[in-house]
Parts: sequence; structure tokens; C-alpha cells
Amino acid sequence: MNSGIKLKKTKREMFKLFIFLSIIMLLAAIMVVVSKSPVSSIIHLIIAFLAMAGHFILLNAQFLAIAHIIVYTGAIMVLFLFVIMLLNLNKENEPHKTLTTKLAAVISGGLLFLVLLASLKGVNAIKPLNKFDSSIGLIKVLGNELFTKFIFPFEISSILFLSAMVGAVLLAKKN
Amino acid sequence: MNPVNFLLMRHELLLTAVAMIILIAEIFFSGEKKGWIRTLSISLFFIITLIGFLPVDSGSLFGGMYNTNALIALMKNILNIGVLIVMIQSNTWLKKEQNNYKTSEFFLLMISTLIGMNFMISAGDFLMFYLGIELATIPIAAMAAFEMHKSKSAEAGIKLILSSALSSGIMLYGISMIYGTTGSLYFSEVSEAYTSSALQTLGFIFFFAGMGFKISLVPFQLWVADVYEGAPINVTSYLSVISKGAAVFIFTIILYTTFNYVSYLWQDVISIIAVLTMTIGNLFAIRQKNIKRFLAFSSISQAGFILVGLISGTQMGMTSVIYYILVYIFSNLGAFGVATAISNATGKENIDEYNRLYHTNPKLSLTMMLALFSLAGIPPVAGFFGKFFLFTAAAKQEFYVLVFIAVSNAVISLYYYLLVVKAMFINKSDTPIEYFKSDFMTRLGLLICIIGLVVTGFASYIYEYINSLSFGSL
Repeated sequence: MNSGIKLKKTKREMFKLFIFLSIIMLLAAIMVVVSKSPVSSIIHLIIAFLAMAGHFILLNAQFLAIAHIIVYTGAIMVLFLFVIMLLNLNKENEPHKTLTTKLAAVISGGLLFLVLLASLKGVNAIKPLNKFDSSIGLIKVLGNELFTKFIFPFEISSILFLSAMVGAVLLAKKN
Repeated sequence: MNPVNFLLMRHELLLTAVAMIILIAEIFFSGEKKGWIRTLSISLFFIITLIGFLPVDSGSLFGGMYNTNALIALMKNILNIGVLIVMIQSNTWLKKEQNNYKTSEFFLLMISTLIGMNFMISAGDFLMFYLGIELATIPIAAMAAFEMHKSKSAEAGIKLILSSALSSGIMLYGISMIYGTTGSLYFSEVSEAYTSSALQTLGFIFFFAGMGFKISLVPFQLWVADVYEGAPINVTSYLSVISKGAAVFIFTIILYTTFNYVSYLWQDVISIIAVLTMTIGNLFAIRQKNIKRFLAFSSISQAGFILVGLISGTQMGMTSVIYYILVYIFSNLGAFGVATAISNATGKENIDEYNRLYHTNPKLSLTMMLALFSLAGIPPVAGFFGKFFLFTAAAKQEFYVLVFIAVSNAVISLYYYLLVVKAMFINKSDTPIEYFKSDFMTRLGLLICIIGLVVTGFASYIYEYINSLSFGSL
């Protein structure tokens, strides 16, 4: 009985945390689009990614959270920053969009948002297939799955990396 | 697991082995000896194509992630033939000094995309399918940017990688919706759990958009003209024939197995998209001056015709689609082969530069005419039977309006295919392309296309064989 109340309390706490992270993420994501300077866009994108990692932890996916921070917030964002610094963006060479384009983009984006919201209506009816497993996001479980059940796609992706490497060599090669 | 079971993956294992051999051969054959790599790759690939025709068992590996049967092996063999022709056609172009030092990379990337396509066709779940489609797309972007010294080629590579990344993202979003609502990635399990709730329908539409990008259907076709024009002509032919063919194959399989219970859903979508694709592809093709852009828009409208057969959802629908892809490979590669030969010899790629070609190079003109007649669907050539079966399959399921529009579009397409023929045979020109003699490989590539066009048109055995393997969703 006592543990039941405790569980309920934890759930309420987690829900509060969920709302908190979601608000941060949404605000940061809006700022990415709205802010004028590309550098501040990137900084807000980093905040959004960090909040995303928080969501992963709430779902008990610790490895995914860490990998997300290392890969996205760490490596990819630094790359982005480098590109922006090298591109030397300023007001003059900013792509100019006509009012019609902007209007069309707003309308189609809004319609997509509406459709997405509408399609979420019947989702409550779907039951989760498996019972919740608290160890599901741990590295050990992930490694086990990756090297047993998903060994085949894992190996195929090595061909993908090899060909990507050869492609990069092709583009950089000089006679 | 018995290691012998891995022989089911024969196509992919052999291709991977050849890719590794080319990678190692690159160390030993450098500089002047690069010619050996071309010979090695083409002859090894020829052997693989032959081995592919050996009878194959049906079965699945890795818990159903990899499937194979006679139908899938047939699809892979069709792709193999196409890639072999593309490799033979690109031999002369790779010999040129500015391309010679990148020979092995070209073959390696081409083979790795083919591995991706084979895995994509053999996929039993969305994960393998997605990996396959990525492996089939990313290296092509590097191939499109092959001629880095030309800014158009680099632009084609960037355009291809950016737009395909976006389309993959949309498709992945769709797949995640399907996974989230059905709880499975396996095609067979998704089929049973698919109830066409709103979210699942949206997932399907996103998935469709991603596939539409790969097959270049109309709202998603904007990348095609620029990429086809900028990329080297052999890469363009590879993109327009092989990668489109592979995408059509897996799209057919997924529609007929995974979404088989909701055919009313995709039939509505496809009928509209097919009309748009045919019409817009045709209207834009009429205005093109550059042969590559011309063939790009013609390949868009061909994709629309393929959808007409796909829509029926019957066994005949699948047969006609596979048969049409086979014919399309020979006819389009024939047209591209002639364009490649002319481009290699003279560097000319505009249609009005083809004027009076018949008087100087009659054999090339006749080959081009045969290929274009096949694309247009003029009776004695294989393309006619291909279109005939596509339209019959749709008409049998009472899509009369769609078939009527498709036939009208076939007439429109006849007009612009004949414009090229007219340029070669009738138009006057003061400076026609001089007579030139192509080397052995170019002629071999064109000869295979001509033989393919005649044989697939007249040997009814091929159609019967495809029909015996196909299945319908209804």
C-alpha cells in the first residue's frame, strides 16, 4: 500500500520534470528558428538537445542520453559552429525570400502541424505490447541486443561507413 | 546456425567480396596500370551476374531480417544486368586522363550502392530496409560529384545528398510512427497490426513521400533535373535506371505485403500521383534542349507509367511492373549509351547538335531510335509490350479514367521522343557531328541493350516466368 503511494508520488514528480524539460525544449527550439544570428541559433539548438537528453533519462535510457550528448551536443554542434564561422554569414548574402514563399511555408507548415495533432487523437487506444522493463535502456542490455538480435544490421552499417569513407576520399583526391 | 545457410545471401556476399578485391587491387595497380582495374571489375562483375542466375533456395536469415526467394533473386539479377551495362558504358569515360586516377573508387561506390539495393530488396523489416536505402543513396552523392573540377557536378552531389537526407528523415519519421503504433518493424507483423488509424495513415504517407523521392514522383521530383544534368552521364544513367528500378521493386513488395490490407488507401494516393507524374514529366520534357535533362524528365514520366501498373494490386500488376523495369533498363540505357558515346567523342550534349546524325553515324542513330521507340511504346519494340501490360493490369481493376489519361500521356510522350528522332534523321545542319568510331566496350554496351530490347519484346517466356513468381495483394 505504502509503495503504491510512493510510486504515485514519483510519477507525479516525473511528470513535473517532463513538463519542465518540454517547456525548455520547445522554447529553445522556437528560439533556434526565430533568432537572427546563426551562432545564437546553434546555442539554442544545444539547449534543446540537452533537454532532449533529459527526456531520454526520464525514459530510463541512460546510454542513449549520454550518446546523444556526446555525439550531438559535442561533436555535431562543434562542426556546425565551425561551418558557420567559415561561411562568414552576414546580412548581405542572406537568402531573400518573397512574401508568397513565406506565406506558403507558413500555411503548409501549419497544415502539417494540424494533421500531426489530429492524427494523435486515437493514439490512447493503443496498448504497449511488452511490459515495462526497467533494464531496457542500460548499456549491457543494449550491447546484448546489438550483438545478438541486431548483429546483421550492425555489420551492414560497416559497409555503409566504408563506402562513405571511399566517397570522401574520392571527393578529396587530387591527381 | 549452419554456415551453408549464408549461401542464401550469395548475391550480397559476392558483391562485398568484389568490393574488397577492388579495394586491395587499388594498392597494386596505380598510375599507368589503372586499366587493369577496369578490366578486373567488369570481368568480376560479369562472373557475379552469371552466378546470380543459378537457382536459389528461398529462406530467411537473422530472424527474418533477410529474406530471399526466386522472385527476389530475379529482381537482383535484373539489377545486376543493368549495372553490368552501366559499367561497360562507363569504361571509355573512365579511360580519360581526368577520370583515370579515380577508377577504383567509381567501381567501389557503384558496387556498394548495389549491395545496399540488394539488402533493401531482401529486407524483411523496416530497419534493414532503411539501412539498405541509405547504403544505396549516400555513395551515389559522391559519384554525382565525381567530376569535381566542374561546378555543376559538385552542385549535383550537394543537391542530391541534402535532398535525399531530408527525404530519408521524412521516411524515418513515417516508419517511427508505424513502429510506434504497431509495435513491430517486421513487414509481416506490421501488416497484421496495421489498422489504418489516423497516425498509421500519416506514417504511411510519410513513408510514401520518402519512396516518392527515390522513384522521383511528382511532388518530390524537383531535385531530378539539376542532379541528372550536373552528374557525369554514366552516373545519371545509373541513377535513373538502377536506383529507380531498385526503389520500385522494394516499393512494390512493401505495398503488396505490408500494406496489402489497406490497398484502398494507397490506390487513392497513387492514382493522383501517377496522373501528376506522367503529365508534369511529359510537359517539362517537351521543352528540354539538353539530352540529359530531356532523359531526366522522360524518366519522371516513365515512373508515372510504372505507377499505373502498380496500382492494380494484382499478380498481373506486379508482373507488369517487374517486366517494365526490365524493358526500361534496356531502353533507357540504350538511349544513355548513345548519349555517352557522343559525349565521349565530341563533348556535345544538346539535342539540336544531334541534327543530321543519321548521315554521319547511322548505326548510333538507329540504336537511339530503337531505344526511344521502346521508351515511347511503339509496337514492335519491347517497350510497347511493357506499357501494354501496365495498362491492362490497371484496366482489369477498372481504373478506366487513369488508363485513359495514361494512354493520352503516352501519345504526348511520343511527340517529344520523335523530336529527337526527327533531329537525327530529318533536320538540316551545317555542322553535323563528324563520323567517329566508338571503341569495343561502347559498342558492346549498346549491343547488349539492342539484344535485350529485341529478346524481352519477343520472348514471351520471360513474361511468363516473371508472372509465375509474382504475387498480388488482393
